[in-house]
Formats: sequence, structure tokens, C-alpha cells
Amino acid sequence: MPMDGSLFRTDSVTRRFGSITALSGLSVEMAPGTIGLVGPNGSGKTTLIRLLLGLLAPDAGSLHVLGFDPQTEPLRVRELVGYMPEHDCLLPDMTGIGFVAHMGRVSGLPKEAAISRAHDVLEFVGLREQRYRRINEYSVGMRQRVKLAQAIVHDPPLCFLDEPTSGLDPTGREEMLGLLRSLSRLGGHSFVLSTHLLPDADGLCDQVLLLDGGRLLASGSVQRLLSSHAGEMVARVKGDQDRFVAALSRRGVSARPVGDSIQLNLPAGATRSVFEAAVETGAQVRYLGASVSTIEGLFLERVQNAAPGDAR
Amino acid sequence: MSISAPRYTSGPLPRLGRDSRVMAIASREFHHRAQWTVLVPVTLTFMTVVLTTVVNVFFTSLVGTVTSATFTAAVSSPAWPYLMLIVTATVGAGTLADDVGSRAITLYLSRPVRLLDYLVAKTVGCGGWLLIAALGPGVLAVGITAALGYATATVALEAAGGFLVVGLLAAVFFAGLAIALSSLTNRALYAGVTIFGLVLTLDIGASIVAGISGNSQVGYADPVANVLAVAHQAFSVSGTSSLDPGVSAAILLLSGVAMWIFAGWKLRRVEVIAE
Repeated sequence: MPMDGSLFRTDSVTRRFGSITALSGLSVEMAPGTIGLVGPNGSGKTTLIRLLLGLLAPDAGSLHVLGFDPQTEPLRVRELVGYMPEHDCLLPDMTGIGFVAHMGRVSGLPKEAAISRAHDVLEFVGLREQRYRRINEYSVGMRQRVKLAQAIVHDPPLCFLDEPTSGLDPTGREEMLGLLRSLSRLGGHSFVLSTHLLPDADGLCDQVLLLDGGRLLASGSVQRLLSSHAGEMVARVKGDQDRFVAALSRRGVSARPVGDSIQLNLPAGATRSVFEAAVETGAQVRYLGASVSTIEGLFLERVQNAAPGDAR
Repeated sequence: MSISAPRYTSGPLPRLGRDSRVMAIASREFHHRAQWTVLVPVTLTFMTVVLTTVVNVFFTSLVGTVTSATFTAAVSSPAWPYLMLIVTATVGAGTLADDVGSRAITLYLSRPVRLLDYLVAKTVGCGGWLLIAALGPGVLAVGITAALGYATATVALEAAGGFLVVGLLAAVFFAGLAIALSSLTNRALYAGVTIFGLVLTLDIGASIVAGISGNSQVGYADPVANVLAVAHQAFSVSGTSSLDPGVSAAILLLSGVAMWIFAGWKLRRVEVIAE
């Protein structure tokens, strides 16, 4: 682990592909743990991972992974990380065990250790029975699992997982997320989970890095980011919405109608005021809940509030 | 899908250096190519060279003196360069194209492996087969004739040296050609056809242009003519080629290396485009 304690750090990193700016002035520092790299397709997630691996060079700015600069010490970085690419990248003529052991050897493991580890990780990802089958006979879910196995075969302290649930059916997705939860619970290992499926990051990641259009929307501990929205509630009522809002205002609760809903800023312990206002105005409260309670909600809130060209 | 409780053991693992990582890729490449599409032309090359050489040496020993020139029978005809060409197309076409097509190249380069290491490893894996096809038959033929007493030890050594020079130069050139053309596509078939078509075009084209213009120097553009010019010199066969064997050897060597460097440059671009 690096001296400064950060897992990776970027300083004003910009990367362009022709006229397209994939990442724009990204400055972020993430601590060890399970990190959700979240954003829609084309937001710069894969570019960031490839920059951190030293597979791409930034047009501007600098990066550090586990204390090493991937531009000047790419091999040092790659010895310490595992990478599960989004796309299919397997050697289809090999068996699962042969492929994973081969990638272990390419990572520097001696032959016997690579084979032994390959058996272990294939069993861990649930491919024990299929390990001697050729990869071109594997289903999509099995291919995703073997991709995960090759990423962890050399037991790296940091693993980049690029869209690990991509192409999986709901059952396969749950199984993959379960595997990732098991890995993250081990401790001592950090994971960067890149996904455009925001619910994948919920419940799995303790930190999040939100990207949109190559710009940083938010980063940091999920708990801290969500708690910054504590008290922000949303309510839906049946009845006179305007009278209900006025009644809330008289009770010192900031409220404003947004479409069919009402956004509230409730001080701690003021929930009772909502129901008192409802009784007073004869309105019926149909829904009352936190406006931002998930990473998905956080992302949507940040996207809505981000002015064009705004980077935070 | 097997049902098994997640089990993941973590602990310090021994790590080897860069050489072992390169050899892991090279070894995989070499073994991966051991398919009938490669074994058939390699076997054919062995049979052609060994039979032609041994028979020629045997009959020469009956009627006269066997010299190193006697061993040139197999490699002094265009059959040998063309057999090498077939081996090159079958062995080398997929060397890089397969990895670019499957995008496994990204996976390799995400490991502690530089692009140069990767390229060296792939060249060693593919070049191993080319060396076997280029050197093996000649050395085997020399060994058989020497063992049967058709050639003296001195002549056998001279002939082995000849096969070594010609085989190494041919292997360097054909390996560079295969690597370069394999880097241009993500389909091995396209690369294979291009390897064969390019050399065939240069061979026939150079002959036609030389015939029309009367300029034998055009022959330097023909890899087959260059290989033959070197072979004639290596086996002390004089006056059969209009090309300077030294220049031909330099062309084979430098063009092989240049094509290899081109492949490295091309792969850097592939990496960016693969993004």
C-alpha cells in the first residue's frame, strides 16, 4: 500500500481521442476499499481504467496507482493489479484451467503455483466442473466468470472490474455480484467496479466515483455522500398540493412542488409536521421517503444539478 | 454451473521475472501452432529437403566426389523457398491477428508485460516453427548422409554451415514478414493470403520486370531470388545467380527486422483504436 494511503490518485487528468474528450481535468483521490466507478456509457470509465493501468497516456495531468506512476512504472503497477476487461478477450481454443493458469504465468507466477491458483480461483468462481472445457464452449456467464478468475489468479491487492455484469441475465448478474461481495469481504483487497448499471454499485461499494461525459460529478464515501442529503425527502399527496405546501411552510418546513411530488427539507424529528399539515389540509400522504437514498439517486441528482461544463 | 461455497485463499505468491513472463507467452504461441495446418507443410518441407539431399548425395557419391555444393540440391530450387512460404503463412498469419481479433492483446498488455516483450514472445513462438522448418531438414539430411558414410566430416560440417546461414536468414525474413502482415488485420486468413500473395507477386513481378527491362538488379526485390542467391553462395555454387549474395543477405536480414519494427509501431496504434 502506498505511503500516502490512497489507492489511486489523479491530478487534472485529461484524455482526448481525436475531437472527443473522454476525460476532462479529472482530479480525484480514492482510499482502499470497494469503489464504484459509475456513469453512463461513454462517461470515461474505461478510459480511466486504462489510464490507471498505463495502457493509455494522459494528454495532461498525472496519475498514481498504489503509489506508482503508471506512465513511468507501468510494470510495477500491473504486477499489483488485476484487470477484467468489459469486452470478450479470451483465448477461445484454450480450456478454462489452461487459460487462467497461462495468465497467472504471464503475471509472473511459477508454473506450479499458476496451475494451483488457477484451480483455486476457478472453483471460487463456480467453474470447477467446467474448468477442462474449452472456452469457446462456455456460455456468456461462464465467460464472465473465467474473466474474473484470470483477473484474480495472481492475488492482486487491487482489481479493476470493467462492467462485470455486462451481458448477464438477472440470475447471472446476482451470482456475479455475490462473487464480488465475497471478494470484497475478504479484506486486504481493493476493487474498482466500473458499471453503467447503477444498482450494481449499491450495497457493494463503500466509495463511489461518479462520471458523466468525462467529468467528475462526485467522489468519496457512499455513506458521506448520501448523508449530505439527509433530511431531503420527497412526498406525494392526494389533495390540494398548494395548501399542503403552505401548511408545511407555516410549520417551518421548507417545501416546494416539483411535478406531482413535493420536495421537502425536513429537520431531524420534524416528520410529524408532515402529517399534521396533511390533517390540517385534508390531504392524504401517499408516499414519503428520502429523495436520495441510493447511488443511482445520487447520480441522477448530480446530473440534474450539474450545469453544462460544470465539473465538481 | 457448479454450486460451491466461495473459497478464496490469499497469501504471498512467488513471482518470477520478465524472462519467464515472455517465455510463458512464447511457449503458448509455439504449442498453439502445433496443428495439422502447420505440421503438414513442415513435414512436407522435411521430406522434400531430406529426400532430395540424401538421394542426390548418394548418387553423387557413386559417380564422383561429394562436396558441400552437392547438398544444395534441395535449397537451390524455388521449391524450398515456397515450402517455407507455406509454413510462414500457416504458422505466422494468426500470430498477432488472432490476439487482435479476440482482443486478448489487451489482456496481455494489462499484465506486467511491455509491448516489446509481447512482440518478442510472439516472434519466438512463431519463429520457432520457422527455424525448425528452415534448419531442421538440412541438418537432418547432413546427419543422415554423414552417418551413412556418403560425406566426409569436413564436407558435412561445411554443408551444415550452409544450411545454418540460409536457414537463419530465411527464418528472420519470413518471421518479420509474418509478424508484419499479421499485425495489419484481425483475421488470420487475410494475413495468410497476403503473405503468400505478396511474395508470389514480388517473385513473378520481379522476373517479368527484369525480363522486360533487362535489368537483373530488379531481382533484389524478389525474396525468393534473394534466398536462392544466398543459398548458392553458402553451398559454394558459383555462377548461377546474378544477384550479389552479400546484398541479398543484407536485404533479407534488414527487411525482416524492418517489418518486425513496423509490426511494433502498428500494434501501438491498434491498442489506441481498441479503446
